[in-house]
Amino acid sequence: MTEPIIECRNLTHYYGKRLIYENLSFDVPRGRILGLLGKNGTGKTTTINILSGYLKPRSGVCRIFGEDVQRMNPRTRQNIGLLIEGHIQYSFMSITQIEKFYAPFYPRWNRDAYYQLMEKLRVAPGQRIARMSCGQRSQVALGLILAQNPDLLVLDDFSLGLDPGYRRLFIDYLREYAKAEAKTVFLTSHIIQDMERLIDDCIMMDYGRILLQQPVGKLLEELRQYTFTLTADGPLPRDERLYHPSAIGSQGELFSFLGESDVRRILDEQHVPYTALESHRVGLEDAFIGLTGKY
Amino acid sequence: MGKAICYKEWIKTRWYLLLALVLMTAFTAYCLLNVSRVIEFKGAVHLWAVMLERDAVFIDLLTFLPLLTGLLLGIFQYVPEMQQSRLKLTLHLPYPHYRMVAAMLLYGTVTLCALYGVSLGLVTLRFETAVARELTQRVLLTALPWYLAGWAAYFLTAWVCLEPAWKRRILNLLVAAGVLRIYFLAPAPEAYNAFLPGLTLFTLLLSLLSLLSVYRFKTGEQD
Repeated sequence: MTEPIIECRNLTHYYGKRLIYENLSFDVPRGRILGLLGKNGTGKTTTINILSGYLKPRSGVCRIFGEDVQRMNPRTRQNIGLLIEGHIQYSFMSITQIEKFYAPFYPRWNRDAYYQLMEKLRVAPGQRIARMSCGQRSQVALGLILAQNPDLLVLDDFSLGLDPGYRRLFIDYLREYAKAEAKTVFLTSHIIQDMERLIDDCIMMDYGRILLQQPVGKLLEELRQYTFTLTADGPLPRDERLYHPSAIGSQGELFSFLGESDVRRILDEQHVPYTALESHRVGLEDAFIGLTGKY
Repeated sequence: MGKAICYKEWIKTRWYLLLALVLMTAFTAYCLLNVSRVIEFKGAVHLWAVMLERDAVFIDLLTFLPLLTGLLLGIFQYVPEMQQSRLKLTLHLPYPHYRMVAAMLLYGTVTLCALYGVSLGLVTLRFETAVARELTQRVLLTALPWYLAGWAAYFLTAWVCLEPAWKRRILNLLVAAGVLRIYFLAPAPEAYNAFLPGLTLFTLLLSLLSLLSVYRFKTGEQD
């Protein structure tokens, strides 16, 4: 097992009386790109905030590089790149000023990495970040993280507000950088197709718990979407190994890690009136919807 | 790193500081022109008489100006930090959190020192040439609580702005208004003389309130 860079143990958090999650535990191994997937309100940003040390959980502990994030040595943060949701940066600065500001804080600062990316933006060096498009701002935020050259990158909803071109540019740059330099990346995004191109492992969160954590390749290899035609009004199958059976009209659908023969056996045992059962491979977005449901 | 922190604060506040310097200088100069006019038309003796018999200090126009400049400096410095939770970026820098905020407050304190120094310097220079040193001191000691109120307004604005929860922020605002009232309770010249050391210490202690706001931000307090 690769040494974990992030370790979260038994995290429990509430907002007021609303439980976000209870006893949540997970690890992020060194050198992996891990995506945190979950519907709105399942606690993705809460997790990022706890990891960044901006939220104290009711109980549990998060360690990064072996240090409790609540008592982290400031020098350790030199090695953690943080992208805040919406690519927030000091928008009152220009691209030149912001580079000049950050550089003294980071001993491994790579000025060239930043300016190489900035050259592609075709903006004047004196232009304030506030006057840039969301896509351009995302490149400034990414460029600053690349220049910081940290071993761990924490990215909160990196695709927010980006058009497809900038999303692709961001992903390609990030993946190339992370793989070439063996960086560890922990990220969230609400656009799951983007994650599929980028991540090695995923954690899927449901309300209050982790549904699964495994490599994306293994997930997509094993999970299947099953479609079938209902021949009469009848019950949909109820089995914890079959995820979110549903029907629109006579077209039924469910997701499962089981093979076709096992699914067929369960449907038969439960007297589901079906025909034309078909098994399909799925992409990450379908896998996510299949496992967490549409509602 | 301290230089970099000052650089960021300078970028946020430089235009405001320029405007504040112009306004502070202009208002102070206007008050002092009034002094010159009194001397020119009625003579220095009349100036002395008015200052001694009628408690005139001639710079009443400046009463709330330091407070306003301190308050606005706080807004220009800390509102951008709280917009879109940008303080997260600042606190993510590899620098101790409370030392970071202390450095930002120190920047504000020093720049206000410079602004107020210009104003008080002009007042000193003008009065020293016209009246006895005791009368110049009287003007300065009368004005000192107003300038302390400027620093207090700055520290309290930082406290209010950095507070992460809106309900608490409104409560802080009301407390801040009450605290600032302390600096303007007695309009008579030199009314605060006996209280000035205590008031100065109290003003400096107000800077610690911002650390409380940052602590609350770090623990994730919100509405």
